[in-house]
Amino acid sequence: MAEEHSHKAAPMVDEVSDYEVLETAVRELAIEKGLFSAEDHRRFAEYAHSLGPLPAARLVAKAWKDPEFKKLALEDGIKASLEVGVDWINDAPTGFGTPSDYTDLRVLEDTPQVKHVVVCTLCSCYPRPILGHSPEWYRTPNYRRRLVRWPRQVLSEFGLQLPADMDIRVEDSNQKCRFLVLPMQPEGTEDWSEEELAQIVTRDCMIGVALPHPDRKADDPRPVHPAVHPVEHHDH
Amino acid sequence: MSTESQQTPSSFTTLERVRSEGRLWADLCDQYGVENPDPPWRLSLEATCEALNAGTCALPTLERRSEEDELATTVYADLPFPERQVLALAHSMMERGLIDEEQLANRMNEVEKRLNSV
Amino acid sequence: MSMHHVEKITGVGDPQCFEGEAGKPRFKEGDRVRIKDRPDIFYTRCQMFTRGAIGEVAVVTHESVPPEDEAWENEQAPAEWFYIVRFRMQDLWGDYPSTYPNDTLQTEFSERWLEPA
Repeated sequence: MAEEHSHKAAPMVDEVSDYEVLETAVRELAIEKGLFSAEDHRRFAEYAHSLGPLPAARLVAKAWKDPEFKKLALEDGIKASLEVGVDWINDAPTGFGTPSDYTDLRVLEDTPQVKHVVVCTLCSCYPRPILGHSPEWYRTPNYRRRLVRWPRQVLSEFGLQLPADMDIRVEDSNQKCRFLVLPMQPEGTEDWSEEELAQIVTRDCMIGVALPHPDRKADDPRPVHPAVHPVEHHDH
Repeated sequence: MSTESQQTPSSFTTLERVRSEGRLWADLCDQYGVENPDPPWRLSLEATCEALNAGTCALPTLERRSEEDELATTVYADLPFPERQVLALAHSMMERGLIDEEQLANRMNEVEKRLNSV
Repeated sequence: MSMHHVEKITGVGDPQCFEGEAGKPRFKEGDRVRIKDRPDIFYTRCQMFTRGAIGEVAVVTHESVPPEDEAWENEQAPAEWFYIVRFRMQDLWGDYPSTYPNDTLQTEFSERWLEPA
């Protein structure tokens, strides 16, 4: 399983910030008070370090190249994940999937008619084991509240303008299922290898806020701004 | 109910000090010319949040996130992730009595000495 | 989480561990359903904006103890079938632009939240 370079590199910042101190202090106190064990934390942290979007990109590329695999991906996301080296059940330190991610992945296939986009209004659930960590903007109330209300507006803010005859389907992942968008393969890439295709399937394409493009191998940085008109108060 | 962020001081002095004086990762990166988008403690924080939701579930994710959202519109509004996330976590834990502010302040002093003595 | 539950799910997965426990699903793909507005006294994952809305079952997903029970470490509570229900945006939001009549939103509910429409 490939590891994210940015998670491995030790940054050369020669200063200890108050935030670093706070994170450390909270963790140490929590362990001392028995809220969790040092071993549990170590295993969750190790697992977190191992996660990134490459396996998901390979799943999409494989589905594009192989109709049989695509069928499997649409029927059984957990089984399909195994073929790109991700075992939702056994890779996690718990041995039964993580308490955040569970073990039911669903792949949502975009068609010429329907564009899927994923959100979790309640808390930002995300298919971490195969897609890595969720981006900051995905976690903001701004995205979570507005996508279910004004999806076309939110997508256009991401630079995605959908034709009027295409429908949007928002998936609010509020339970144990986790979702990955299988976007349409871009024109002009029909002869590409699986490896070449995987390079243009960026994280944002698999959340559904971007479309893969033959010239683009990285997601655009997203501005994060506070919700100006939050939809409604979520009562839990 | 106001729909705008109204930044107010934290009710926890320890956290208020961090909020107002702590150096953000983005600023540290600028100063030291580092490009890593995430601070070194970010994934450790993720693991802490996960561990709190696992096992005895001292702080369930849904509640923690709900409070984090609320705090994001008030006390910790002007901060980026993951600075906001760690402050909100400490805040939620103290509100629940899982940790105590005095202990936190003491531990932070000790940690700071320890990390700076290397 | 009890040791019993940990043993049950290790190597099996969650929600896979609840397979076979909920009997026959009450609804099937294509059924029209309404989301009940049940009182959520403590804890729920049923979004407010779906209450009372009418949609269509898009997928019958899996069996699991519902979050309302699982949150209280009550993994022994009966499992229910879960369903992804699809709504027209027009039906969720009164002012959704009519230029996009086929825009939809889908989200997941346990059986207790659904009634035939």
